[in-house]
Formats: sequence, C-alpha cells, structure tokens
Amino acid sequence: MPAPRPTALERQYARLGVLLIAPTVLVFCAVIVYPLVSAIYLSLFQIFTPTLQGSWVGLDNYRALLARGEFWTSLQNNLIWTVGTLTLQILFGVAMALVLHQNLWFRSLARSLILFPYFVSTVVAVLVWKWVFNDLYGILNHFMLTLGIIDWPIDYLGTMPNAMISIILVGAWKYFPFVVIAVLARLQTIPEALYEAARIDGAGPVARFFDITLPQLREVLVVIILLRAIWDFKEFDLIYLMTGGGPVIATQTLPLLVYKEAFAVNQMGMASAYAVVMMAIMLAFMIVYIRRTRERG
Amino acid sequence: MARRVLFNLFAWSIVLAVAFPLFWMIVTSVKPQFELFRRPPTFLPDTVTFEHYRTLLARTNFMIYFRNSVILSTVTTFVVVFLATLGAYSLVRFRYRGRESLAFLVLFTYLLPSVVLIIPLYLMLVSLGLSNTILSLVIAYTTFALPYALWLLRSFMAGVPEDLESAALVDGASRLGAFRDVILPQLLPGIISTALFTFILSWNEYLYALVLVNSDGARPLTTGVMSMLISAFNIEWSLLMAASVMMSVPLIVAFAFLQSYLTRGFGAGGVKG
Repeated sequence: MPAPRPTALERQYARLGVLLIAPTVLVFCAVIVYPLVSAIYLSLFQIFTPTLQGSWVGLDNYRALLARGEFWTSLQNNLIWTVGTLTLQILFGVAMALVLHQNLWFRSLARSLILFPYFVSTVVAVLVWKWVFNDLYGILNHFMLTLGIIDWPIDYLGTMPNAMISIILVGAWKYFPFVVIAVLARLQTIPEALYEAARIDGAGPVARFFDITLPQLREVLVVIILLRAIWDFKEFDLIYLMTGGGPVIATQTLPLLVYKEAFAVNQMGMASAYAVVMMAIMLAFMIVYIRRTRERG
Repeated sequence: MARRVLFNLFAWSIVLAVAFPLFWMIVTSVKPQFELFRRPPTFLPDTVTFEHYRTLLARTNFMIYFRNSVILSTVTTFVVVFLATLGAYSLVRFRYRGRESLAFLVLFTYLLPSVVLIIPLYLMLVSLGLSNTILSLVIAYTTFALPYALWLLRSFMAGVPEDLESAALVDGASRLGAFRDVILPQLLPGIISTALFTFILSWNEYLYALVLVNSDGARPLTTGVMSMLISAFNIEWSLLMAASVMMSVPLIVAFAFLQSYLTRGFGAGGVKG
C-alpha cells in the first residue's frame, strides 16, 4: 500500500523537526562521528605523539597488537575486573534493594547514604579508599589487626592478587547503588496480590523470592547487567587512580593500555588500534543492549 | 516487634558500613595532623580543627580549580541541556526520515567509551589551538554529556501527554508556541533532573581533563586535587580529605534539596531506556 502523500502541514512539521535536531546533529558529527572515524583511520598509521609525525603502516598495528602479550594480559585483566565487580554489584545491589524495600526506620536517609557513593567523584572515592587502605595508618589494617584476621599489616594495592581484589571491591562499592535504585523502582511495581496469593498457598519468604520476585525482576536485571557490563568494561578513572595498572601491569585493563600507549609510550597509531579492538569487543554487548531497547520501544 | 528491631539493626549496620568511608573522610579532614597517626586511631576527633580547610583555601590552588570546575560544569550543562531539549522534542514529537536511526545513534554514542574518542579529539583540539583551555574541555565533555542528556530527556518527553499539545494546536497555537507554553512547563522537572545529572557528570569527569589540560589556570578539580597528591612531598591526608569534602559540596547540596530529581533521572535514563 503506498503511503498517503504528506499534507502541506505535515511537510512543514517535518521541516521544523529537522531544524530542531540540526544543531545536535552538527555537534554529533563534529565531536563524535568525525573522531570515531578518524580513530579507525589513525589506527592504520604509526604516529609519534610529541611530533605528531606519522607514516602509513596499514594493518601492521593490528598484527603487532595480536602478537603482543601485553594486549592479552590487559584483556584478561579487563575481563576479570568486569566479571568480578559486576557480580558483586548485582548480588549486593539486589540484596540491598530488598532490604530498602522493607519498612526501615529513616528509610529515605538510608537511601541517600546508599546512593552517595555512586554520585561522589571517582577522584574523591579513590582518595578516601587509598587512605582507608594505607598500609601504616589506614583504618582497614587497624580493624583487621584488632579482629585478629591478620597478624601483619597488608599491602592492599601494591601486591597481587590484593590489588585486583581491592579495585574490584571499590568498584562494587562505587557502582552497586545503580543496581539498588533500578531494582528498587521495579520492586515497587510488583503487585502485592501476587505475594498474597503465594502466602495463602503456604510459600515461605525464600520461596516467595524465587517464585515471584526474581521472575518479576528478570527483565530489568538483564538490562542492568548489560548496561553495567558495558560501563565497567570501559572504566578508566577508578583503576587508573587506584593502582595505575600496577603492580607492573597486573591490574592494567584495555582503557589504561590505550592511555599508556598514546600518552606515555607516545605511539598514537598503536593506541588507536587498541581502542578500536576494545570497541569491537564491546560492540557485542552494545548491539544486544540496543536490540533489546529497540524491541521494547 | 523484636524481629523488626533486629532487622532494623541489621539493615542499618550495612548502610553505615557502606557510608563509612565517607564518614571517615569527614572525620579525617577535621583532625589535627598529629592525631592522624595515633595508634589506635580515634573514631571521633579529640580536637576538631579547621586548619586544613584554611590551608586548602589560602595556600593551594584549590580555589582556582574550584572556579574552573564551576565554569566548566555550568557552561557544559547549559549548552548540552539546551541542545538536548530541542533535540528530544524533535525526536519524540516529529516524523521525518532518518529519525529512528538518529535515535539509535544517540543510544550508541551513549555507550561509547571515551578512550576511543580521546586520541582524535586531542589531535583536533590541539590543531585548533584550544589545548589547555576550559573551552576544550567543554567541547570534549559534550561527547558524553549530550548523548546522555538526549537519552534522558527523550524518555521524559515521551512522558508528556500528547493530548496537551494537540489541544493547544487546535486552539491555534503554533508548534513552537505549544512547545513553549505547554510542553516546557510539563517537562521542567525532567529538565532539572537532566541538568543535575549533566552537571554532576561534568563535575566528576577525569580522563579528558587529564589529557587535554596540564596548566593550573584551566585545570578542574578532579585533576587538580590529584596533582596535589602527586606534588606533595609527604602526603597530607587530612588536607586531601578536606579537599575531597569541599569537592563534594555541590553534591551534598543536590542531595539535600533536589533528591527527588536525582531518583527521577535514574528511572528515566538508566534502565527504562
């Protein structure tokens, strides 16, 4: 069936619509699309950062990158960090949301306190945690020593696997509030009648959680996991500021590798290649997320 | 009743444990230097002092960084929210070719990692002669703030009932007239929410500031405070904690007065999509 011809008014509206989005599109092209395309283009060159002198090397950067142990180590670290911190965020986030959904004294104050780590600057979070982790005067070592868990102060950030565990925990602390708020919003829309019915059927709290709450949360949890996986995978600030990728490169993830290659090793072409490969890996998650959103929208 | 008390005690001990680092930050910032290194540490300071805050304001570059951050975040927020409001109106309420693809380009860029854009952006801003300026950061921050604000405002816009606009049009208002008189007032809470999130996002940004600016005149708080950590010969933790508290002041203000806007923004942009 051919579409009906748009009326004059509809055409006028369409023009206005385009006009309103035009500034955004221009800015998008200038600061996002153009850099994105040139990142791919740059990855085909060898560029020395201080002089910005470059020469065409084709796909050599990619060949070199796949043969480098550092790339694979960083990818592996990236996956360990993402899976580790994401799992903790989800588990702790869902549990906390269930707690905050109950009738709690001063519930809105509790909610604010839980939300705060998410909004606080990563710089602030890192400074505070570095002070807590401080090996000589840090409060954490003091607690652990007093409780008798350890006999000797621990170096939390300078040795492995401590450094990885520490950043995973701080990441979980910083980002689990996102899960809490998202899950909490969904919990409030589950009809109370479902729980009533289950209670009449004799289901205990645990059964009610697995038979009603969890299936109801499934949909929103998938979205949260996808989003957080993408965001955790590309996290730079927290890891860079906590450990700088160290000890040596034991906590170096791909974003840190890109930064190091571009601004410390001074090889911008190679760094672009790393960035492109990293984006290609993330693309899988991004497409799944975009697909889901499109289906629901 | 006993169960309720127990549950509350349990829940609150977790909440307090989560909030502990923030409590510790404030306590450390008002302790005198010598008390910091006392064993065992004091939970509440024996003597409260504001000398670190005085040092911070009078003898470091903190105020310059603070000013830069305020300018940077405010300008970014205004530019981005202005563009995004018009853009979201267009994306939600108009029909034209390419609209759908545009909406998904927005979503795609919303998920894009900064490190992919940073190298070309750096080259671009250097060749424009803008490196080491606040303007260069405004441009760079647009790359993540604009997709974010658009995506958020798009779902707020979808929540404004279409009938209102139709009624105004029937009454003879133009599209832009209806937008100004009918939609904008309805959208205002969403705009405030978006502005708040954009401001916080810009206030907290670190990577672009690290790469694009290395002069104290244009450095924002994030990289500025970190440079205080690196340049200090022996780390003055109480000074850094005072800086952290000061840096969080806008956030605390937002929490105290605008909390409902913060949670609203969460629902709209974060997950519902």
